[in-house]
Amino acid sequence: MVTPIYIVAVILGLAFLLGILKSSMTRLGSILMIGGLVFITFVSGQWLYEFLVNHRATDIIYTAGFLPPYAINLQMGLNEAILTTMINIVGLLGGIYLLDSLKKTGINSMAIFIVFVMSLNVIVMTRDIFNLFVFLEISSIATGGLILLDNKRKAFQAGMKYIIATGIISNFLLIGIIFSYYFASSLNIDGLIAANLMSIKGGAIALFTIYVSIILELKPFPANGWGIDVYTASNPGISALISAGSATAALFVAYKLMPMGGSFWLPYFAIIGAITFIGSNLMGTRQENPNRLLGYSSIGQVGLILMIIGLSPYLGKDTLLIGFSILISHYAAKAGLFWLSGIIKSKNIQGWSALRKHPYLLFLFGTFIFALIGFPPFPSFFGKWNLIMALAAHGQYAWMTAILAGSFTEAIYLFKWLGYSIKLEVPEDITIKFEWNKYLPIYLMGILLYFMGMYLAPFTEGGVYINFLPLAFVFLLFALDFLPVYVKNTLSIAGIIWYMVRLFPLLEHDLMREIFAGIFLGGAVLTLVAGYAKKGKRPGFYPMALLMFSGLVGLIEANTLLEFFFSWELMTAGSYFLIIRGKRSMPHGYSYMLFSIGGAYAILFGLALAYASGLNISLAALGHITQLTTLAYTLLAVGFMTKTASLGLHIWLPGAHGEAESDVSPMVSAILLKAGVFGLMLLFFYMGTGTPGSEKLLYVLGWVGALTALSGNLGAVFQEDAKRLLAYSSIGQLGYILFSITMMTQLGWLAGFTYTINHFMFKAILFLVIGGIVVKLGTHNMYEMGGMIKKMPYSFVAVLISIIVIGGIPPLSGFAGKWLLYNAVIQKGWYFQGVVVFFAGVIAFLYLFKLIHSVFLGQLKDNHRNMKEISAWILIPSYILIIGIMVFSAFPQWVLKPIGNMLTVYFPKSLYWQGTRAFTSLGYWDGTTTMIVVVTAFTLLLGWLVIASKKVKRIGQFNIVYAAERPYRPETTHVSYNIYAGYKKALGFLVTPVVETFWENVSDMVLDFSGWLRRIYSGNMQNYALHVVLFIVVFYLIALGGL
Amino acid sequence: MGYIIIITGFLLVLIGLWGILSQKNLIKIILGFTIFDTGINVVMVSIGYVKGKTAPILDIISAKDALKSVVDPVPQALVLTSIVIGLGVSALMLVYAIKLHHDKKSLDINNFKDLKW
Repeated sequence: MVTPIYIVAVILGLAFLLGILKSSMTRLGSILMIGGLVFITFVSGQWLYEFLVNHRATDIIYTAGFLPPYAINLQMGLNEAILTTMINIVGLLGGIYLLDSLKKTGINSMAIFIVFVMSLNVIVMTRDIFNLFVFLEISSIATGGLILLDNKRKAFQAGMKYIIATGIISNFLLIGIIFSYYFASSLNIDGLIAANLMSIKGGAIALFTIYVSIILELKPFPANGWGIDVYTASNPGISALISAGSATAALFVAYKLMPMGGSFWLPYFAIIGAITFIGSNLMGTRQENPNRLLGYSSIGQVGLILMIIGLSPYLGKDTLLIGFSILISHYAAKAGLFWLSGIIKSKNIQGWSALRKHPYLLFLFGTFIFALIGFPPFPSFFGKWNLIMALAAHGQYAWMTAILAGSFTEAIYLFKWLGYSIKLEVPEDITIKFEWNKYLPIYLMGILLYFMGMYLAPFTEGGVYINFLPLAFVFLLFALDFLPVYVKNTLSIAGIIWYMVRLFPLLEHDLMREIFAGIFLGGAVLTLVAGYAKKGKRPGFYPMALLMFSGLVGLIEANTLLEFFFSWELMTAGSYFLIIRGKRSMPHGYSYMLFSIGGAYAILFGLALAYASGLNISLAALGHITQLTTLAYTLLAVGFMTKTASLGLHIWLPGAHGEAESDVSPMVSAILLKAGVFGLMLLFFYMGTGTPGSEKLLYVLGWVGALTALSGNLGAVFQEDAKRLLAYSSIGQLGYILFSITMMTQLGWLAGFTYTINHFMFKAILFLVIGGIVVKLGTHNMYEMGGMIKKMPYSFVAVLISIIVIGGIPPLSGFAGKWLLYNAVIQKGWYFQGVVVFFAGVIAFLYLFKLIHSVFLGQLKDNHRNMKEISAWILIPSYILIIGIMVFSAFPQWVLKPIGNMLTVYFPKSLYWQGTRAFTSLGYWDGTTTMIVVVTAFTLLLGWLVIASKKVKRIGQFNIVYAAERPYRPETTHVSYNIYAGYKKALGFLVTPVVETFWENVSDMVLDFSGWLRRIYSGNMQNYALHVVLFIVVFYLIALGGL
Repeated sequence: MGYIIIITGFLLVLIGLWGILSQKNLIKIILGFTIFDTGINVVMVSIGYVKGKTAPILDIISAKDALKSVVDPVPQALVLTSIVIGLGVSALMLVYAIKLHHDKKSLDINNFKDLKW
């Protein structure tokens, strides 16, 4: 074992050696520098290995031949080993990354660089507070020198601000140290802890001075203008080190000095951390400069970790795990992002679309963003999960809210940024050069994030059950992304089918999960089949589609709250990437993500309350919520409703579904929306009707469902865009589903299931076929279509059958849903809501007619004369689904009878079966007989028509017989634009976008507030110094001055 | 006596801080820092001072009765370190001042507001 004292000795030796080298010997200099960094990485790494593998005890290293307090001692335990290894790795990688810049500025900068890394090591290891001060100063001075690496005006100013601020801070630290020594006669941290300064008169002030300086080192909001400027103006390679290295060390200082003050100071840590986390992220929302944005984000993340330290009494032994999970995500992501920024060299975040030409870098960029927000499978996901669970278990709801609010504001700018880089045009003035020394560190940080996520998962309660198999498949597909579409498509379909075969036997006796697994995975296969119609490579599509499906299947398989949320977030991530693929989908993907994250946090809060109620991680905990029961169920419901796009939370849907690619629309509409339904059903199952507040909640949600149905359908009526029409129709259909299940009766739930299954089938067909037509005709506008019945007869039949289902016309299964729904409404006595739903049903006919009329009937347009039927690859899955509809319509008892039986466990039985005939107290219905009658009548009529039409004389499109005048242009004989002008006059007020306006105002308010807030960063360095002093004064007055 | 020195030290600290926060000329601000540093050093020395005892240098006094006759050596060692660090910081600040002056031919702190928000 190499003792860690060599970290100091070797680096100091090398630094002196570098100092006496001739300035022309840069090659030798860089070898020495990298060699030194490799050496110290090795030293800390071997200690880490010892602690992790051999469970070695913590080691104290004494110096100068005396024991403390007469001499300085260093400590090397598991924590120190982890942190020094982290620091040395980022130092080494950062050194490799900066090699060119360092060579250019000369050997001295290399010396400064290694001394900087070394000083961070000592800051972590030392147990002597004065030694700590000295090395903090060394690191500050070294940082000041490294900022000069970029010989630019802004770097000079930032550096000057940095030295002025840290100069004041460290002087205060020194005062605190002297007085601690004065009161406790020791400079040793353990001695100071033993002396218990808080109990000594005046000791509190000494401690205050130390703590305030350490907190200020962490750049707390708002006394951090100097810190942000450094992140902005330094070379990104240096910013990476400051963000990942210095912040790591400074946080550990806060952690190790924490026992000196006992519990008195912890709430202040937490409050300052929370203010920093929220304030910094809020100001980031207006930021366009990538480095500055990363600065805001860094400071925010550090605030979060400071908050975790402050909340340690609630987190207990998990504090370190939680803090580390979030720290390592921040560390790897921020280093990677700063390094990326150094490669891209763009002045604004829009310029990052240059990454579009470099899919692997873009992938890493996405990785870093998702890791920062706390998505699975990254460590921060587990960190945040544990944090929220532990806080909930102690009833700390305000802290939970603060953390989730801060995380949300962070998502606002990070996803805007990611959206830009995926969707904006590639800027011409930015070219990314391949340099191995700049690429390698970024890749390694990306890999580290995935590795750490997997590594940390089992440390979380329930984490061992997480199934990483689907994720591995996603990775495989990403690795094979260079292959053509048909290979990846076949592979994906094969993978899903294999998984289905494996999964279904496991789901025995759980009908609800079987149904949803059928929708998710069966739907996945069918919609993927349509993908064969695509040519080329479709880069990035398959991994993301499969990511969504692995999330969906994870929901089915989840037995614990953790697995459920894990899968929920995977699904969100995958679907985001699918949605944003559409040509004009940037804003829609963005709003989808924000609603999803907001919803996910509501769900997380609810799950945490469930967990806290019995410290039970299993999904069944949802049935025993005793903490804030009503709030918990409401939050969960609202969270799921962001996915079902219920009224108020629906504004993302029309754009997201309407603008998505032709085979993505069915995925995100027919399949993805059902995840929300699954969540709601699961929730209502567990909630039941007996829990406090549930009656009211269900009543309100019932109304929401009814009004969603109405507004969705109304929205669809006035659409000219075929796909948006379908999207609005989805909102309406999901409204029916929500309405039916909130009745909490057997009939209501049967209706809910019927609507769910129907919507899955017909919406998949409609989006596939209409999507195919839209691509073929090159327009979304229905008034530019027409007469397609002759060109695309198979599509016509598919759409016709689907709209018969939506319309609820016998004999198809839509009628089954309607019949059940109205029975349920009457039985429940929800007449007013029933009227609304009925009215919505009438309105549905309007848009259904518009759809089939404008697209298929009427006059063929001139430019469509040579159109052919859409691809068979789209028609095959559609017709398979039509067979499904036919079977479900003719033999509804095959599906509804078992569901009904399953439901009798929860609700009183009110639907009875007699052969093919279904009874309620109100009447009966027989799907099979109806089908036979209608099909017979239809066949007879059709036969007669065929025979009779033999005598009919066929006429051309422009035959004079059509009108009194001779039409030359088809448009003039086909009314399809704004065909419901009259209705619009009467009902138009109902479709004024109130909800959109509301959310727009909310977003404007947030951005305005952020713009106002960040004006405190006036750029004047003296003001920043004043902020630091004021921070000290205010903190003093609040903590000790009795304010 | 001890109190007077401590108070003087703190007065110097305040004067330094006042200089940093109120002066517009970068050089004067840097001077403010050195006054600040000096004040802290004075405070440090005064804390370790014990009335009637001498400097902890073993050449002047015999090692035997060192413990009885010297002041607390730790603050004195700290002061030495702190002076060295103060020198480093001042040097770096002056480097920056030179760089900034080269850039804009001005030492007025209000002229360097290119980075904000």
